[in-house]
Formats: sequence, C-alpha cells, structure tokens
Amino acid sequence: MTSAEIKQGLTEEFSGIKYILTSGMRSRLLLAIYESPKNLEELRAELKKPSATILHGLKELENINLVRKVQKSYELTSNGFLLTVNMIKLIDNWYSISKSKIFWNNHDLSGIPDELLKDIYLLKDAEYIHSTTSDLSNAFNTYINLLSTSEELKIIMPIYSENHLKHLIKLLNRKRLVKLELLVSEEIYDSIKENDLFNKKIIQNKKVQIKCVKEELKIFLTYCDEFVSLSLFFKDGHYDDSQILIAKDENALKWAISIDKIYKQKEEKYVKLQTGSSNYNEHLEH
Amino acid sequence: MYIHNDIDDDMKFLAKSEIRLKILNELYKKPNDVRGLVKQTDITYSSVSSNVIKLEKNNHIKKVKNTYYVNPMTEVYLKTLMDFKNSVQMVNEYESFWDKHDLNQLSINSIRRITDLKDSELIETTPIDIYKTHNTIKNQISFSNCVKGVFPYLHPDYPGLIEEVLENEGSVELIVSKSIFKELMLRINNKIRKNAIKEHKLKVYRFKKDLNLYLTICDESMSLGLFKTDGSFDQNRILISDNPKSYDWAKDLFEHVKNEVRA
Repeated sequence: MTSAEIKQGLTEEFSGIKYILTSGMRSRLLLAIYESPKNLEELRAELKKPSATILHGLKELENINLVRKVQKSYELTSNGFLLTVNMIKLIDNWYSISKSKIFWNNHDLSGIPDELLKDIYLLKDAEYIHSTTSDLSNAFNTYINLLSTSEELKIIMPIYSENHLKHLIKLLNRKRLVKLELLVSEEIYDSIKENDLFNKKIIQNKKVQIKCVKEELKIFLTYCDEFVSLSLFFKDGHYDDSQILIAKDENALKWAISIDKIYKQKEEKYVKLQTGSSNYNEHLEH
Repeated sequence: MYIHNDIDDDMKFLAKSEIRLKILNELYKKPNDVRGLVKQTDITYSSVSSNVIKLEKNNHIKKVKNTYYVNPMTEVYLKTLMDFKNSVQMVNEYESFWDKHDLNQLSINSIRRITDLKDSELIETTPIDIYKTHNTIKNQISFSNCVKGVFPYLHPDYPGLIEEVLENEGSVELIVSKSIFKELMLRINNKIRKNAIKEHKLKVYRFKKDLNLYLTICDESMSLGLFKTDGSFDQNRILISDNPKSYDWAKDLFEHVKNEVRA
C-alpha cells in the first residue's frame, strides 16, 4: 500500500468520530438538542453563537441524518439519539478519568476488565483520597472508618496485609458486620490460613465466606450498600496504599457489582469455599 | 451539559489525527520505538516521529529507554474512544434498522451498550421471501427450551410455538401488550397453559402502556425488532445474534421492560 492509500484507509476508519468530536459546534448542538428539541432562538441563547454559525452546524448534522427539523424545532433523529447517548458516555468517561488524573495515571489498570474501563463514567462522582507527608495514613484511615459503617462487606483483596485483616477481625467481633465476602488469590488464601489468628478468626468465622481464584489479583475493591472503594498497584508491581477512590452513589455500586461478577466467573475453575469451621470444604470444580 | 475545556482539548487532539490514534493503538498492543512503529503501521518515518513527539508532549505516551509506552490514563481514553467509534459504526452499519424507528423503549443503559450488538445479523425480508423475519424467529423459538419474549403483537403462530416449548418441558416468560394478553392466553391450549402456570413454567406479564419493542431471547440467541416512528411495527427487519454479549444485552433489556411492568 502506498502512504496515500494508508492515510485514506485511516481517514475512513476514524471518519465517524473525527467528524463529531473535532467540531465544538456540532457536538454542542447534539448535546443541546439531546436535552430537548429546540428552535434556533433557543439554540442561539444557549450556545451564545450567531444564527449563521448555528444554522451551518445544524445543516451539517441534518445532512448526515443526526438532526431533523420538525416545524420550527430541531430534534435528534433515531441515529442522532443513539450517537449522542454514546457521546455523552464518552464525555463522562473522560471526565471521570480526568477528575482523578493522578490516580488513574499512576497505576496498573490491568486488574480492571476492559468492559468496566469503558464504563468508568459510573465512577464520575468518586472522590480521590490520598495520603500526604503530614498524614501518611490518610487513605488507609479513611478506608477503615468507612468499613465500620457496613453490615455486609464484599472485598476483592489482592494483598496479605495484617493491618487490614486485624481491622476486619475487629469488625467481625462486633455485631454490626453480619457478612463478609472475600475474594482472594490462592497465594493470599494460603498466607491467611498459615496465620493461626487469621485462620481462626477469619477463615473459620461463620460470618465469612472466602472465594479463591488461581490468578494474582491486581485490584483492591471493597463495596457494600454504603460505599465503594478502589485502590490499585503501581506499574512496578507494588501495592499503593496511599491513594484510594471512594464513591457513595448508586452508579459506583453498579460498577463494583459488575467487576465482582466478572471475577466470580473466573473463580469457577478452582474454588476453595468455606462457610465456617464446622462446614469447611475444599473442592475442585471442573 | 457542556464539555470541560481540558477534556475538549484532549478529545480534539486525539480525534483530529487518525495517525495519532493508530500510533496509540499500536503502542497499546505493544510498546515500541519509532522504527518499530513505522514497520507496524506503514506510515512514513517523519509522520510517525512528529506525532510521537506531539503525543509525548501532551502526556499521552512516555519514553523509557527508547521505547514508548501509553500512559494508563490515555489507555482508558483510547479504549473509550474506540468504544465510541464502535458505537458510531453500529449506528452506520445497521442504519436501516435504527433510522426512523422508535427507540423509546430501549433503556439508556442498553443504548450505552449498543456495541454489545456488534456481531449481530440484520435479517430483512425480500420480495421472494417476505416471511424471512418471522420464519427466523419461529426457528429460534421452536428449537429452544427456554424462551423469554417481549411481544407487542400476536402472530397466529405464537400460541402453537409456546405450546411446543412447554410440551418439551421448557419454560416461557413473556411480556405482552395489554391488548393481546387475553387473546394469547385463550389461544394456548387450556390444559398445557394451566399445567405450565402451576409448575411456574409459563409466566406472562401484561404491559399496561404501549409496547413499542419486539424481543425474543431463546436458548442461545436473541432477536430484536422495532416500531417505526409512525407507530407501525417494522415486520421487515430484525436484528439477530447468538453472540454471548448480545444475549446478555437482550437479557438486561428484558429485565428492564419487566421492571417497567412492575412500576
């Protein structure tokens, strides 16, 4: 292929997104009309642009069947509606990432399944908490405080941390926490089991259900009805306990449940299940 | 809704250049140096080199010992951008299916996940096979053990098909419009219907509002039909798929419509 042909191929491949996303006027018109059909005057007032500019943009969108004029109002066509919903998803995804830039840019994201990276907009109301030189445990303490408010906890735990496990034991000893579901790797499971205290107070605790996956986990996700928290590993493989995302809204909970669902599907091949000391079973599922 | 300036700038910077997108896609698959990128993409050295510099300057890639890596945040930008590209393709590829059709009964979430329908097949009737869409659905249902459906109209074949599934020990869960509920129930063999309801193998929900959507979910396949914006059902087009993602998409949509019944 000649370089002109290659360029032409690339232009065709990306023409759809380029046309919409590189024109501020076209994308703003779609967003404005998505909210409700509007006439020229309303669009002029909202976008603060002259009629000629707006009419030019509308004509372009009409030509590609994204907008249509019904009497004096402009509305989205079916195609325009589909595309705008997905453009809003894209904008929200980018907003969600740029809001916590440092968090996303500093970490290994391989623990987050692709499907869920595409739905990161669900975390757009999450708050980025980080430790500082004057408060090295800020992220950890915030997390521990949140844990104490929950009745049922689900945790994907990629690390063996005595600090975390001791706090979980404290919570299990109280009446408030009635159920703890832990998803860990085999290696972490074995480490927990080797420790007498953790074996007795966590593995053999009737309130606790532990599930294992063979693979190494790269995501620390905790969720319950009250909050979702997420922390990750650095690219060099070390766990980062100084930065955490915390969200308390329904969308974030949806995101966490979807991640958990994907990980639990992985657990199908090899499961170590326990439901309390008297009913311990370890089995292979094929 | 408005777009934040920094997002707007980043979006324009990446979407404006197909070459930059291509380079990022390649680097995401495999970190590389400029020469390696030239080899991978067949784009000229000068073009790759100048765009790599721009990408690095804008913090989208990072150079470590002569090799360029995509920054994690840009990885997500890229994935979501490609997801948007796929949704645009979905709209364009099946334009006749969406265009001038009523999408109000699709949930916002199902529209956000429209790319899950990526490998679907658009079945259209032809002058020599005007029952192609109906026969496709009929085949899907006949060979299924578990059928879920949203039926906005009653085809004379449906009662028989439902009986067939139930007689083979299968289960049927339907959401039907109010206007056809009674007629459908009456047309299913009395004994089969009563037994199936008793054994919880037949569940039929009555949709109180207008039902502007057709959906079937069979054992391993789904089909979707839409109403035109003039209010008539488009019998000439259905989207079918046996891809697991499309299947899950259809199941979620079914649950969404079921929740509307309860609302």
